[in-house]
Amino acid sequence: MTRLLLRRYRVMLGSWVLLMIALCRATFPAYENTYATEEQRREAVKLAQHNPATTLMYGLLPDPGTAEQMYHWEIGAFATILAAVMGVLVAVSLTRATEDDGALELLRGSGLAPKQPLRSAFAVLTGCAVLLAAGCSPDRFGAVIGLTFLVTAALTTLLAQIAPTAGQARLFGFTVVGVSFAMRAYADTQDAAWLNWCSPLGLRAVASGWPELLPLSVATVLAAAAAIRLSERREFGAGLIRRHDTHHSRVRARTTVALSFRLARTSLLTWTVAVAAIGTMFAAMGSGTIELQRNGEVGGFLGSQTGGADPAAGYLSFCGTIVAIIVCAFAILSASESRRAERRGLTDMVLTAGVRRWSPLAAQAAVTVAGSALILTATGALSAVIAPAVLNGDDIATRAFVYMIGQWPATAALTGCTVLLAGALPRLTALAWLPLLTGAVLTLLGDILKIPQGVQDLSPFQHVPDIAAATTPATALLVMTALGVALSLTGLLGLQRRDLQPG
Amino acid sequence: MTPVIEIDGLVKRFGAFTAVDGLDLRVEPGSVHGFLGPNGAGKSTTIRVLLGLYRPTAGQVTVLGLDPARHAAEVTRQISYVPGDVALWPNLTGQEVLDALGGLRGRRDEEAERRLATDFALDTRRRVRTYSKGNRQKVVLVAAFAAPTDLLILDEPTSGLDPLMEQLFQRCVREASAAGRTVLLSSHLLAEVEDVCDTVTIIKDGRLVESGHLTDMRHLAASTVTARVSGVVVDRLPVPAVVEAGLLRMSVPRDLVPTVLGILAEADAQDITCMPARLEDLFLRHYAVAAR
Repeated sequence: MTRLLLRRYRVMLGSWVLLMIALCRATFPAYENTYATEEQRREAVKLAQHNPATTLMYGLLPDPGTAEQMYHWEIGAFATILAAVMGVLVAVSLTRATEDDGALELLRGSGLAPKQPLRSAFAVLTGCAVLLAAGCSPDRFGAVIGLTFLVTAALTTLLAQIAPTAGQARLFGFTVVGVSFAMRAYADTQDAAWLNWCSPLGLRAVASGWPELLPLSVATVLAAAAAIRLSERREFGAGLIRRHDTHHSRVRARTTVALSFRLARTSLLTWTVAVAAIGTMFAAMGSGTIELQRNGEVGGFLGSQTGGADPAAGYLSFCGTIVAIIVCAFAILSASESRRAERRGLTDMVLTAGVRRWSPLAAQAAVTVAGSALILTATGALSAVIAPAVLNGDDIATRAFVYMIGQWPATAALTGCTVLLAGALPRLTALAWLPLLTGAVLTLLGDILKIPQGVQDLSPFQHVPDIAAATTPATALLVMTALGVALSLTGLLGLQRRDLQPG
Repeated sequence: MTPVIEIDGLVKRFGAFTAVDGLDLRVEPGSVHGFLGPNGAGKSTTIRVLLGLYRPTAGQVTVLGLDPARHAAEVTRQISYVPGDVALWPNLTGQEVLDALGGLRGRRDEEAERRLATDFALDTRRRVRTYSKGNRQKVVLVAAFAAPTDLLILDEPTSGLDPLMEQLFQRCVREASAAGRTVLLSSHLLAEVEDVCDTVTIIKDGRLVESGHLTDMRHLAASTVTARVSGVVVDRLPVPAVVEAGLLRMSVPRDLVPTVLGILAEADAQDITCMPARLEDLFLRHYAVAAR
């Protein structure tokens, strides 16, 4: 069973572990040489220690703020959150998801002991934790990441015995991560340091020595034991909470656009809330960077991103780029949904209800561009409200809003690419990620990799003009919008001329 | 009367693979037409051409007087389609799926939907995710029979249904036919279509094998006669026979049955049985196929 789980989920497990290791290993050298002099670093540390936004996000930066401490403080925050999210997703996949999709039923029917699936899952999870710890950093920092992963996974598995479905179990797991983050943030900002002992994400703050890892290790074992006990008390495929399967809701859709919107509703709402929260937090965190930039002290990666006439404009533009890359990922996923529907035979059902051939794909494209606009507007509006309170500079609210919403043409262009592929070359739909990847590399690493400006300008993400300066015209934005429309139309035309390709 | 479905020399190729090779098919208005063939014979491909989901490589196709390749939306608005492998949106409830399909078509009969859902014992308040294969099929069957359409195209529609529901399904087909609707019922099981169809078309390897009225086809098939004989009669019989442990067994064409029975009676044969022509035999004869 353990080997079967490893084999079935090897891609998922492998990608997560590699992503985590890459994040920790690749960023470490950057902290060694970000600040040219000791003086500059102390300045930055002082700023960071008194910045409420960074304290909220990363926790307290301990004195004296060596390069290693800064690395643990900043990357550690990202790495532990990612490890916790990984814990939730992996734990549910290994336990309840195999139960819900019927794979476990087959094994249980072939003589597998009832306790074995959970034991095997815990064996795999422990293995992952050890790999994470050793891979990320073979010291206490790595152990903290591994244990954060394992304790979240164990708690999620425990909750998965109670949750009625795998989806609910994931939701419970993410709630644990959210509560952990809130507890850690409260502990660090409100002088309630003891609270960090109770939070998986607070482990990083309290683990000043090896013995401090003990309480959460014990909690992990207890949660795992409790999960195994509870699993014996529930029905196969059902949690301790009964699921509510009956719903009286109706669908009022009479067009493919209305139906696509109805189907995308929940995911669109989740994306909007998540991107608005992340984008705004990111924008609000920039005060330190902007101050440093004013003094001309930011170099390296961040310096390349935020360089320009006005430091505040540079930083907000950078935030817009990051948000745009995330929203483009949404757009590609959303637009290629039509390809998935075609493969599964859902498009057949829609078309045989008397709908025109191009209509479902066009509807999906419309929902995608409207959804992208919604996410960007929400993120821009929230940033425009929050950012002026924490950032110093001129026209912060206007700039924050325009740098976000101004990225809409880029999402439209990438939606066009996806629609073109899904319509005309359906088997190559996955190639829609290529322009996003290229654009992201050109924009984020263009200066560092010394790519000529002419080539860098091909990226869709760096064409939003500074609204306050009003120097560059927005021709590029018009071109990208037109490109999105033209590619989409070509895709629809291609769809008209080909067979539907299910399977 | 103009046929509801008329196919002349349909060819459909996917690269080097020929799925349908010169097929002819005519379905008269108001009839229930069985579309039979082994798995992989090209039934579903033909149906997808009729629905305008595939473009024909060659041949003429007319459905309800229109070319489905060019007027797919107009044609399918008049068609209720039930696929063999039903895929639905997992987050929607059965009722929401009925709403969506009815809403897109622009015409529906909610009263009929409610009645059929009750008949099929389908709880439409549950999410599709929680449905079994049979229940997913029921959702689409309810939508298909309830929709105010002229033509029903059913592609192996009973694969997930229990025997009781299969009977109900046959009743629905008869009612649809009585209401003047035309039904094309594809299946690889003869028994499924034998009870409800007036006409059948049998295809194999993408080619037409037999087509016509079921009653005519039965005439083509041979009866099976068995008898226990003591004397030597095998030589006098007009058809070849085999003897196993004193039991004589032979396959007799319909017009020779009286002659054979006369000879057996003369020879004082015991335990004479005569099984009427079974369509199954005719059908199975065409079923031996090479893997494609």
